Amino acid sequence: MASFEPVLLRNLGVENSRSVRVYESRGGYQAARKALKMTPDEVVEEVKKANLRGRGGAGFPAGVKWTFLPKDRTRTLLCVNADESEPPTFNNRVLMESDPHQLIEGTIIAAYATRAQIAYVYMRVEFHEQFHILQRAIDEAYAAGYLGEKIFGTDYCLECYVHRGAGAYVCGEETGLIESLEGKRGWPRIKPPFPAVEGLFRRPTVVNNVETLCCVPHIIERGANWFTSIGPPHSTGPKLFCISGPVNRPGCYESPMTITVRELIEREDMGGGMLKGKRVKAVLPGGASMGVLTAAELDMKMDFEDPRKYGLLGLGTAAAVVVDESVDLRGVLRNLTRFYGTESCGQCTQCREGTAWMYKIATRIAMDAGRLEDLDIILETSRNMGMMPGLSICGLPDGATYPIETLIKKFRGELEAAIRAQPPDRAERVLKVLN
Amino acid sequence: MPKITIDNKEVECRAGIPVLQAALEAGWDVPHYCYHPGLSIVASCRLCLMEMMMPDPKTKEMVWSPKLAPSCQTPVRDGLVVRFDSDRVRHNQDICMEFFLLNHPLDCPVCDQAGECYLQDYSYKFGRPYSRMMDQKLVNPKKDIGPRTLLYQDRCVMCSRCVRFTDEISGTNELCLVNRGSRTEIDVFPGKPLDNPLQGNVVDICPVGSLLDKDFLFKRRVWELTGTPSVCPTCATGCSIRIDHADNTIYRLKPRHNPKVNQWWICDEGRFNFKYVQDAKRIAAPLVRRGSETSCPDWNDLPQIIRFRLEEHVREKGDQTVAAVFSPFMACEEAWLLARFIRSVAPQATLVLGPIPMVGEDQRFPVGTTNGDAKFTILREKCPNRRGVGLVLTSLGGPSLEFEPFVEQCKKGAFSAAWIVGGYPTPWVSKDTAKIAEGFEFLIVQDIFENELMAGAAIILPACAWTEREGSFMNAAGILQPFDRAITPPEGAKRDGQFLFDMAGYSGLYMGDRVRAMMAADIPGFAEAYVPPPEPPFAH
Ligand SMILES: Cc1cc2nc3c(=O)[nH]c(=O)nc-3n(C[C@H](O)[C@H](O)[C@H](O)COP(=O)(O)O)c2cc1C
Ligand code: SF4
Ligand code: SF4
Ligand code: FES
Repeated sequence: MASFEPVLLRNLGVENSRSVRVYESRGGYQAARKALKMTPDEVVEEVKKANLRGRGGAGFPAGVKWTFLPKDRTRTLLCVNADESEPPTFNNRVLMESDPHQLIEGTIIAAYATRAQIAYVYMRVEFHEQFHILQRAIDEAYAAGYLGEKIFGTDYCLECYVHRGAGAYVCGEETGLIESLEGKRGWPRIKPPFPAVEGLFRRPTVVNNVETLCCVPHIIERGANWFTSIGPPHSTGPKLFCISGPVNRPGCYESPMTITVRELIEREDMGGGMLKGKRVKAVLPGGASMGVLTAAELDMKMDFEDPRKYGLLGLGTAAAVVVDESVDLRGVLRNLTRFYGTESCGQCTQCREGTAWMYKIATRIAMDAGRLEDLDIILETSRNMGMMPGLSICGLPDGATYPIETLIKKFRGELEAAIRAQPPDRAERVLKVLN
Repeated sequence: MPKITIDNKEVECRAGIPVLQAALEAGWDVPHYCYHPGLSIVASCRLCLMEMMMPDPKTKEMVWSPKLAPSCQTPVRDGLVVRFDSDRVRHNQDICMEFFLLNHPLDCPVCDQAGECYLQDYSYKFGRPYSRMMDQKLVNPKKDIGPRTLLYQDRCVMCSRCVRFTDEISGTNELCLVNRGSRTEIDVFPGKPLDNPLQGNVVDICPVGSLLDKDFLFKRRVWELTGTPSVCPTCATGCSIRIDHADNTIYRLKPRHNPKVNQWWICDEGRFNFKYVQDAKRIAAPLVRRGSETSCPDWNDLPQIIRFRLEEHVREKGDQTVAAVFSPFMACEEAWLLARFIRSVAPQATLVLGPIPMVGEDQRFPVGTTNGDAKFTILREKCPNRRGVGLVLTSLGGPSLEFEPFVEQCKKGAFSAAWIVGGYPTPWVSKDTAKIAEGFEFLIVQDIFENELMAGAAIILPACAWTEREGSFMNAAGILQPFDRAITPPEGAKRDGQFLFDMAGYSGLYMGDRVRAMMAADIPGFAEAYVPPPEPPFAH
């Protein structure tokens, strides 16, 4: 394992890695030159063969997504999803900070493959510094002739714009992103039509995550076979993993998707073990939205398939947060429900009301005024929303359901004990004040 | 016509409509909030969800899909099999209703919408009778969002119908959504109140008591109101309306769906144009002058008095000295009866169509629409029946004049007897027109309010407002539409149609369709009146 050479982070720590000069001196923009000599369909084919699964959360194969575009389209638009708003996630940020040209190169190749002439980078508004870094890199790329008219002297043209969001999680959802880009309220759209058919400005549109696009140049340069040789067959290629919480080395690390949660926490070149010898109580391994693992489940593999065996929604953003023994899980519950309660866009009834209700209940439980039946109400509410049962427009409530449901199911004993330990009539008294 | 199966029953439906619409048209009560047939589909309230048969991905066998699907977003197609009568569908309706009421103040006793509220109806039919939320509700006070409309935010179900209306129909975009999640609110931009000529429709399409009409606020419980189908007389568009009244008082006007004319909408000008009906200054009793003597005759004697005196005049001065002025506010039937009477006494009498009020320009919506794509048009022709009355007059033939030449002829003394009908909601006799009053020997003036011509009138007849009458109007597009009477005229007045029916020598009860049938024998244009199809019982 230690023999793994970083791919996506290969320029991390290199002096001036953000400049086009340094990027090129380390082999940058060769893949784009190569891709532009291929036909777009050949590029799509190569990415399909590499089985590059989307890094934005859903894990959908990028090459397959590109083939959903209508054959007879006249204009295509590419959206780079740099909204990265999933709670403990910062892999896109690291990519844009350390190696913005890698993203630009991936964008050029993906745009060429999908025959897009405009690429929009939708960036979360909190990325102030990253915005300037990327914008500077884009300006450099324009100056060098890698963006704009006649890229690399070919007939291919691509304009690239950075659009900054306004601070909503739901604008990372691809159709919320599209609405927001159009200048509207970021309310996800109903599908069909899917973005590939009718997306941004009602044109065929591809939305891809920053990390997904950063993989593309390497696939073109080194070939799909090289890419599939990394990691298990269903989870190919290098992947960034974030680790945060009470570990010795919180940060973003690159690895094939063969590592376990335990390795991510413990390995010297990754999390470096728990801070001050604390013990793990729970881990949210895929951002907030995928669900919770207990300390006994740390052998889960961080790939696209294994998390489902542990009752989780998926790999998500592969950003793990560790909760140590000293933490009151009622606080975790409250924190999670607050996030979804305040980030639901408010469009679908079940999500709008359900997330807010769960937050209210969790807040009360955290105030030492819970009732045992509150846990059942939360569980029932979490089952009464989501896109998977067809109850909502977007996947936000599914992401709300998994962590809340897994937390209560896997730690019910502890939560109930905390409720039982409350002063006896506290719940009644608080409820009386509230009503 | 595609055939789909709903709850094991085969239903034939119009092509291209959503399953929800098809189900409503076939009589199902499918709860829904965000869907409105006149607005774009957002499928966000998630109340109309259904189960749908889909091929199993592996076996290709048709099975019930594990996902519920929004019936408002699913277009009908031949062979589609869906069901609403299922535990999963009912469960979703149940939880939705619980969710809608979580933060609702449950203030039905003081809410105007109570009785016609789809939160009440759906809670009763599809919801649970108690709330499990023990925690504090969001408090969201009412907002004054415009000169005529109030927003009670805490009653809102966030269907976004109102926002879509101002975006897609009025095109004025005053309403917007602010904040996120359960704190989302409807609001207006600072300094830009909800104030457009169609704004009242947002109150109609709001399925709950969130948007309320200030004019109607706290006036009457809706279950005490009786609704009478009518046609708006305010402009020549001729929108279908419903007159809501109780105790012989009109409380409000509401649009009725009319696919040929106004779709689901009416304008504010028409909506609030009923106050004059209840004006205390209306004339309520007939008056007869002979020399300096005046008397208030019994209505039953009037036909004879009028006929006698008009015949007398014709004998002395000849029938070409007689004229009749028809108001574009008259029903076709009334115009026909009056014309028949006049011509029966004076066969060469001149028939005149009264002045046509024209105000400003036609207004097309969404604002900025110039061509035929308008979704709603307010016409500058501010009267309901120029075409209908015109058709009566031209069909009868014989001498006729436009109003202005008629006034000029009067000044030259061409006419010495006339029957002039007003009925305009606002003063209509210009200074110039008023001059002709003195020139008649025998003048009958029939109007709602006193006017300047009455100074010279031998007989003054109170006219009725359209809410008190019955008949039909022909709109600018030539569509003939009947309207019913909602209330009785003020004490002492008599319905124009009945009086003219008597005048024309018929006996019995005046009924619009009966007179129309008689008219149609001569004038084919009156053979068929258009009555818009009723909306499905559970649609809203
Ligand atoms: C509520 C919600 C938030 C999301 N936020 C992000 C995000 O911040 N960044 C991202 O790349 N994808 C996000 N996604 C996933 C996108 O919808 C979409 O799947 C992704 O951008 C596709 O890119 P990929 O195929 O390259 O992964 C989010 C999805 C949901 C439901
Ligand atoms: S599921 Fe929630 S976040 Fe997604 S569109 Fe509906 S209300 Fe908005
Ligand atoms: S105010 Fe009424 S119409 Fe507007 S969103 Fe709320 S419930 Fe719907
Ligand atoms: S989701 Fe279908 S009516 Fe609202």
